[in-house]
Amino acid sequence: MTAPLLVYSDVPLGRVRRTTMGGLPNTVSEAQGTFSLEVSAHSTVAVTGDEASGVDLLGGLAMGLERCPGGQVRTLGADVAALERRAQLAFRRKLGYLPAGDGLLQNLTLRENIRLPLRFGSDFRPRDIEGRVDVIVAQLRLVRVADQRPAQASAEDRRRAALGRALAFDPELVVLEEPFDGLTDRAAGELLEAARGGETAEGARRTVFLTGADLPALLRTRVDRHLRMVRGRPEEVR
Amino acid sequence: MVGFFGAIGKATARWLAQVGAVARFAFEAVASLQTLPGAGRRVATQVLLNQLRFTALEAVGLIVLLSGVLSYLTISATVAQLDKVGASELIGRLMIVVIVRTLGPLLTAIAIVGRSGTAITAELATNTVLGEVRALEGMGIDPFHYLVLPRLFGCVVSVCTLIVLFDVISVFGGYLAAAFIAGMSASRYLGIVLASLTTQDVVLTVFKGLVFGLIIGVVPSYAGLSVRRGPTEIPQAVIRGTVNSIVLIFVVAALIVGALQ
Repeated sequence: MTAPLLVYSDVPLGRVRRTTMGGLPNTVSEAQGTFSLEVSAHSTVAVTGDEASGVDLLGGLAMGLERCPGGQVRTLGADVAALERRAQLAFRRKLGYLPAGDGLLQNLTLRENIRLPLRFGSDFRPRDIEGRVDVIVAQLRLVRVADQRPAQASAEDRRRAALGRALAFDPELVVLEEPFDGLTDRAAGELLEAARGGETAEGARRTVFLTGADLPALLRTRVDRHLRMVRGRPEEVR
Repeated sequence: MVGFFGAIGKATARWLAQVGAVARFAFEAVASLQTLPGAGRRVATQVLLNQLRFTALEAVGLIVLLSGVLSYLTISATVAQLDKVGASELIGRLMIVVIVRTLGPLLTAIAIVGRSGTAITAELATNTVLGEVRALEGMGIDPFHYLVLPRLFGCVVSVCTLIVLFDVISVFGGYLAAAFIAGMSASRYLGIVLASLTTQDVVLTVFKGLVFGLIIGVVPSYAGLSVRRGPTEIPQAVIRGTVNSIVLIFVVAALIVGALQ
């Protein structure tokens, strides 16, 4: 039994507020009680529910973008929100994050968006960075549109690019917020497979934690756990 | 009556709180320079160069036009009168005190607020609303490093440079006015102007450039990143950023004059 990479312990979702720069206020969460969940290594866990359920807060809490007013959230063993700012930023580079609405920088091309975290947060040589970006672009089938800006690209390509950016550092844990909204089941399946990064003897190569309003029917069999928020509490979906 | 003073007190407290928040933002922005990673420095430098192109290079035409026209109007309106009373030597002092020392820095700063300050607020507010700022944080990139610092330094360098350009062009424009209207020779005009120019004027001009550039880099950035209610707040943020920048520039200009009295 491997140790969980992401642990929510008694988090009162109804009281969470965004604290980071650029954080718009959350949808008011009607979640009652507290939220607890463990995401094991090499597993794919999906939590779904409507906005008022507080499901949209889970990704931010995992990344330390939201402060937890009670209980605890530990990501790769650390309480990210409690870290000193510099350490917090460095820690987030170990994680992959696809925010709701993709968050691609509009003045950069899709390729530049994928390249940005590598150029800003690593000392890799430019040639190595380009090599890594080329691999991601090819893997996510973005070669044809890589030099387009987000506004010129389709929603599916934008989501692929945002996932590519999240996978830039080849993280152990990937947090995806509403990754499949508006996508076909086929595209959603491809994105999920890319996020999982292939299979190992223990399960998926990467641990994937995803949240959203719903999970496409085709993917329900591809996740290890699917939980639905009911009255603020996660219930396993069979 | 109590209600009246209470309202004034509340408004003042609100204004002071906002000034305090902007000051804190400026401090955090400058302090973040210490934590800028080596690799990030290269990316931030590229953003800075873009900002310089937009704020300084692309504004050269506007500054040349403003300074040329202003100096021509000012000198043409006064030189004939001064000549009549035999005080044409005062044209140099007038040029330095009115244009180089006061109007040059002020008009340059206002022009840059209009061009770049508004653009900075709109851009950063859009970044915020579209979740780009949050995404940067999620990637481990400090928005101060990627968004604020390059704009801040870009504005400081641009405003300093453009004020110097404004002053040089206005001296030239003043010469054209003095030559056409009063028939003054170039050597006499330049002699009068340069004799009136002191080291303090040069230092003061650069100092104003630094302070005004800092204001234009910080206040619109703060306004842009403070958007919380969504896209409908972007125009309000632009207005807030622009008006607050202009007010602060005038207040600081007045304080500098007051300190030198």
